[in-house]
Amino acid sequence: MDSLGDTVWDVVICGTGLQQSLLALSLSRSGKKILHIDPNEYYGGPDAAFSLQETEAWVGRHAAPSSGLFKSASITKPEGSTGLSFSRAYSLALAPQLIHSRSKLLSQLVSSRAYKQVEFLAVGSFFTFKPAADPEQKPTLARVPSTREDIAFEASLSLKAKRGLMKFLKFVLDYEGEAQRGVWGPHTDSPFNDFLQKEFKMDSDLQKYIITLTLSLDGEMSTKDGLAIIYRHLTSMGFFGPGFAAVYPKWGGISEIAQVACRAGAVGGAVYMLGTGIQAEETSSNDIQLQLTSGDTVKTKLLVRDNDKEEGTFSVSRLVAIVASPLKALFESVVEGAPLPAVSVTAFPAGSLRTDADEPYDYPVSVAVHSSDTGECPSGQSLLYFSTLSTPRSKEALNKALDSFLQAVNDEQMPERLFELYYEQGRGSVASHVDGRVLTLPNVPPSLAFDDAALDPIKTAWEVAMGEDTANTEYMMFPDREAALDDEMYDD
Amino acid sequence: MASDDSLPTLKVLLIGPSGAGKSALLTRYCDDEFDPESSTATIGIDFKIKKLSVRGKAYRLTLFDTAGQERFRTLSTSFYRGAHGVLLVYDVSSRASFLTMERWFDEAEANTGEGVALYLVGAKLDKAETSREVSYEEGQALADAHGALFCEASAKTRENVRKPFCDIVNQIVSTPGLLSGGNQGRTVGTVQVGKDGWYLSGCSC
Repeated sequence: MDSLGDTVWDVVICGTGLQQSLLALSLSRSGKKILHIDPNEYYGGPDAAFSLQETEAWVGRHAAPSSGLFKSASITKPEGSTGLSFSRAYSLALAPQLIHSRSKLLSQLVSSRAYKQVEFLAVGSFFTFKPAADPEQKPTLARVPSTREDIAFEASLSLKAKRGLMKFLKFVLDYEGEAQRGVWGPHTDSPFNDFLQKEFKMDSDLQKYIITLTLSLDGEMSTKDGLAIIYRHLTSMGFFGPGFAAVYPKWGGISEIAQVACRAGAVGGAVYMLGTGIQAEETSSNDIQLQLTSGDTVKTKLLVRDNDKEEGTFSVSRLVAIVASPLKALFESVVEGAPLPAVSVTAFPAGSLRTDADEPYDYPVSVAVHSSDTGECPSGQSLLYFSTLSTPRSKEALNKALDSFLQAVNDEQMPERLFELYYEQGRGSVASHVDGRVLTLPNVPPSLAFDDAALDPIKTAWEVAMGEDTANTEYMMFPDREAALDDEMYDD
Repeated sequence: MASDDSLPTLKVLLIGPSGAGKSALLTRYCDDEFDPESSTATIGIDFKIKKLSVRGKAYRLTLFDTAGQERFRTLSTSFYRGAHGVLLVYDVSSRASFLTMERWFDEAEANTGEGVALYLVGAKLDKAETSREVSYEEGQALADAHGALFCEASAKTRENVRKPFCDIVNQIVSTPGLLSGGNQGRTVGTVQVGKDGWYLSGCSC
């Protein structure tokens, strides 16, 4: 077998997060020689998913309050609890994201034929959290109506509210039309909330419904962005079947796509090394020479790497909780013929949670609850992925959110909490840069829903690596690579 | 063929160290071809499909090679998802290849569900007469220790080439619940995102 040093690689890719992995898939299947390495012993980088044991090892490396992209990680396990299953019965996603049905990520996975190895599950109902009206009562969850049928049958809405929402949905579905632009144009960069109030006379409850559907981290966005996000949601609704607008890859979300993309890269001829980073690099006129931590020295025409150093403009605080209840009420199919959802999302609007000092918490919190159908936990349990913008009180707010959520979803007794993981994730670098023979890819932003903008730098990197071949090669369009064979009878 | 898609699909993996002869075995079994010059890692094919009838019932057998990801031990957990059976292949003329098998068993057991069929294959049996480095008994003992079936085979001479594939399918279909049950099958709520549907549809039958 050839040694790694005998080849001049077209591209060495360092890091196996979603973007690098999709790049490896696209380049190797476009005929380029790819060496794909990752300093981690696992696939997925910041998009990875872990067993309990791997989670504990990861927390050990990211416990410090300042250690790059991930920090302040800690695990809480209630004493004496015996409800946890074995380590590999769990797959905890570091940055779980739902994918809207109309996302370009899905269409690229289909056109590159990689989708066949991923199992997609439906993301079902969206809820908003409603705090208890007085201390004697429990908080509740209200389902967010997001289709016309939903709205028509939603008992909690007044006729006036229904009319307002219907009018708004109709408006968004054609929001790029000339007449519609005339309405929102003047509000383009002003807050979406104000626009909803001024142009659609929505009260604060209705605004909360709409903001919930945007899955925004801070609840604040421009009218232009808000409309685009709601448009994405509405046009995704029903696209792959009735009753849902987004999907989630089974077994760990984006991590699974990254692994499948790497496998497809390997099928296309890419060579894979984990636990291998770059020790030193030296650029000459024709290529760049890399000394790998494995001891190998390799030459490549282009080096693509991620940027896990920069924290970026903001951080997200995350709390992942395993609870001993299937939380069935969250996973009902509400539309006839709809697949049983495996993921359900609840938003805690800004001000709906109270801090220890009994003051309202000013930022929204969200939770994506994953049922055991995701393969991320054993049956009878659920995984709760809470996230919110990092603030000095965000950890406290997340704990409050977990408490309040469990109160709201359970009729009888509180489900047992088996395991809690807390950490903070930086936004990471935003832009990609090309510096001679080194191209740096940005990170996937840590939002609740996958943002298609994260795909653009991959295509740019692909074009840089393809050079003159870009013109006669289609991006991410590949035939199936499977061989169907004759029948065989075997009877004994 | 559309009608084939309705057949129950079995996913079987071939794993083991580089150069053990996984691809030769697969190619001989599926295409009845053998290329003595080929020593490069397998690339280009995602998986091979073979329709197979066992005791009068037809199955769609999908066979997944390592695509070279065994070289630096970088097979992903997703590669193992939904596998019904794993063929673990070593070279009877290489002690070194046999010595890695304990780790391959560990990896396969850690990444697959309970009851998954494991099958140990000592490949390159044609070399046994001149350069055997692993005895039949050693192979059998290792297989026994992991509850796996065992045989030796040669892609070159065709000896026993069909045996591991047929035996593992037989074992899979006679293990209650393996085809339909637990985490192995596709979930009820699976969403079809591709135009021509899932290659693993119909697992629930």
